[in-house]
Amino acid sequence: MKGSLALTVCRIALLWAAAITVLFPVVWIALASLKTPGQLNDPFLISFTPTLNAWRAVLSSDILAAAVRSGIVAVTTVVISVVIGSMGAYAIARYRAGGTLTRFGMLAAQVLPPAVLVFPFLTMAYALRLNDTIAPVIFAHLSFVLPVVTWFLIGFFEAVPRSLEEQALVDGFTRFAAFRLVVLPQVLPGIGAAAIFGFTLSWNDLFYGLILAPGKAAILPVAIAGFNTFRGVQIGSMSAAILIAVVPVVIASFFIQRRLVQGISGGAVKF
Amino acid sequence: MATVRFRGVNKAYGSTHVVSDLDLELPDGSFTVLLGPSGCGKSTSLRMLAGLESITSGEITIGDRTVTNLQPRDRDVAMVFQNYALYPHLTVRENIAFPLRATKKPRAAALKRADEVAESLGLGELLGRKPKELSGGQQQRVAIGRAIIREPSVFLFDEPLSNLDAKLRVETRTELLQIQRRLGITCLYVTHDQEEAMTLSDRMVVMRGGRMAQEGTPLEVYSEPADTFVAAFVGSPKMNLIDGGLSNGTFSTSTGLRLAVGRTGTAAVTLGVRPDDLIPAAVDDERADAQVKVIELLGPRAIVTLDAAGTELTSVVEASRLSEIREGAPVALQVRTNAAHLFAANTGQRIVGATA
Repeated sequence: MKGSLALTVCRIALLWAAAITVLFPVVWIALASLKTPGQLNDPFLISFTPTLNAWRAVLSSDILAAAVRSGIVAVTTVVISVVIGSMGAYAIARYRAGGTLTRFGMLAAQVLPPAVLVFPFLTMAYALRLNDTIAPVIFAHLSFVLPVVTWFLIGFFEAVPRSLEEQALVDGFTRFAAFRLVVLPQVLPGIGAAAIFGFTLSWNDLFYGLILAPGKAAILPVAIAGFNTFRGVQIGSMSAAILIAVVPVVIASFFIQRRLVQGISGGAVKF
Repeated sequence: MATVRFRGVNKAYGSTHVVSDLDLELPDGSFTVLLGPSGCGKSTSLRMLAGLESITSGEITIGDRTVTNLQPRDRDVAMVFQNYALYPHLTVRENIAFPLRATKKPRAAALKRADEVAESLGLGELLGRKPKELSGGQQQRVAIGRAIIREPSVFLFDEPLSNLDAKLRVETRTELLQIQRRLGITCLYVTHDQEEAMTLSDRMVVMRGGRMAQEGTPLEVYSEPADTFVAAFVGSPKMNLIDGGLSNGTFSTSTGLRLAVGRTGTAAVTLGVRPDDLIPAAVDDERADAQVKVIELLGPRAIVTLDAAGTELTSVVEASRLSEIREGAPVALQVRTNAAHLFAANTGQRIVGATA
């Protein structure tokens, strides 16, 4: 039993180390958002009188409007991705549509540097007079959210027994009705997780927003980057804005942890 | 209710023939069982009738409708799958009522009908449960309820009992037969279990390698198997099949086993004897045909495994005779009168009457 005790101690120590590593920057930023500009020069200052100046500045700025725009971009991207992605994932899972190449090839989009895609997007946005609106940002986000959502859902669709669908066909339903009434309800947890996963991907993306909508239609990460001004980085306000940006992602991740593992491991976790 | 006909039905994947030249008629209201080892094409035949597999060539009719190219939903068939395929997100009531959703029947009426069906199957208490909260036997009954609610022309069963434990399987078998008799709906049932096939069917079709090996009533198939394959597949314990030669009414093997079979002619044959028809009797060593190796007691009867000059044979005897027949004892063998089956040694086909 001595060995197992040592093991437990080791395990707990490791978990704490990991937790501290992850949480330290968040705590640091939370503290920074409550400090005066003078106190910010001392990162290790723990005990101080908090000030809400940075928060006031952030809340009166464009940050909230940017957060709303980010929300619109992320939600639109996710809705489109889930509708198209679930149908695509179903086709790939059931009919091997496109063979194994599609299945893994679509992840190749993730390997492609965004910089390669952003210029065509920008040119098209200009031609359509859509530059500096959120529309091209949505299209750009689709380019990486849709493949991930589709890939994520394949495993969930594969876990649905084929006989379930055949049963619905024999029971008098069309193929699409069988998909909608029988298959889709089985993968709802997966779709929920894929949606949240896709949301965080879109919500966190800075690069496309920075190039395609740098001005009045700036999304949240771009607006945060805007605190890096010609007068230097406004660390206090930026920290407050970052916290606003992080909260939805943390909440979302909490709800989907298990499904996330399932989606990434190809539906191997039983549900 | 309808008569189902397969006319020259073939199914091939590329050059692999799964079902070849299937000609089969299921009379209205009959209970037909497709029996065969796995991969013999029985499930494929069933799925072709359901419309879940396309047909390479041939024609399938249900009643006077040709359904060869119809979608499953337009064929008016109901199916019970081996894994029951209950919809996990729906309750028992909703599962049973589900086929009626496709018929535009008002929801309230559909649910009321589902309640009646569930009641008739003894599922009244479980209406609000989800499938995963049910035992295997209950799930099975829900699947049957869902199949009968629409009153289809044909019932299809794809090994529906194989996921149940042995005791429940026998009970459910009886129940299934009663339901079918009550509703009088034409039934096609697929199984690899010959006992299930014998007890359920009024017509039995034994398949092998995508072809029909024999078709008939269970009694016909059992008492006059068309070839050695059917002979070995139907009946438990398995029929003894011994290669040898026939001359002057005596069958003999190269190892020296001789049995009087009461058939004339001279030919190289395979002798088939059901274990019940092979009668061992305790004798002295000099007159012995075989030696008892193992005795398995079943209760009133026992399975006796014999070693006849190197050939292993099986006999079933009354338990009362076990006082004379003991493990290791020498026995003389006798084939019951008119119980010998003869098959041509080269083709395996049954030899009717005298051999040439």
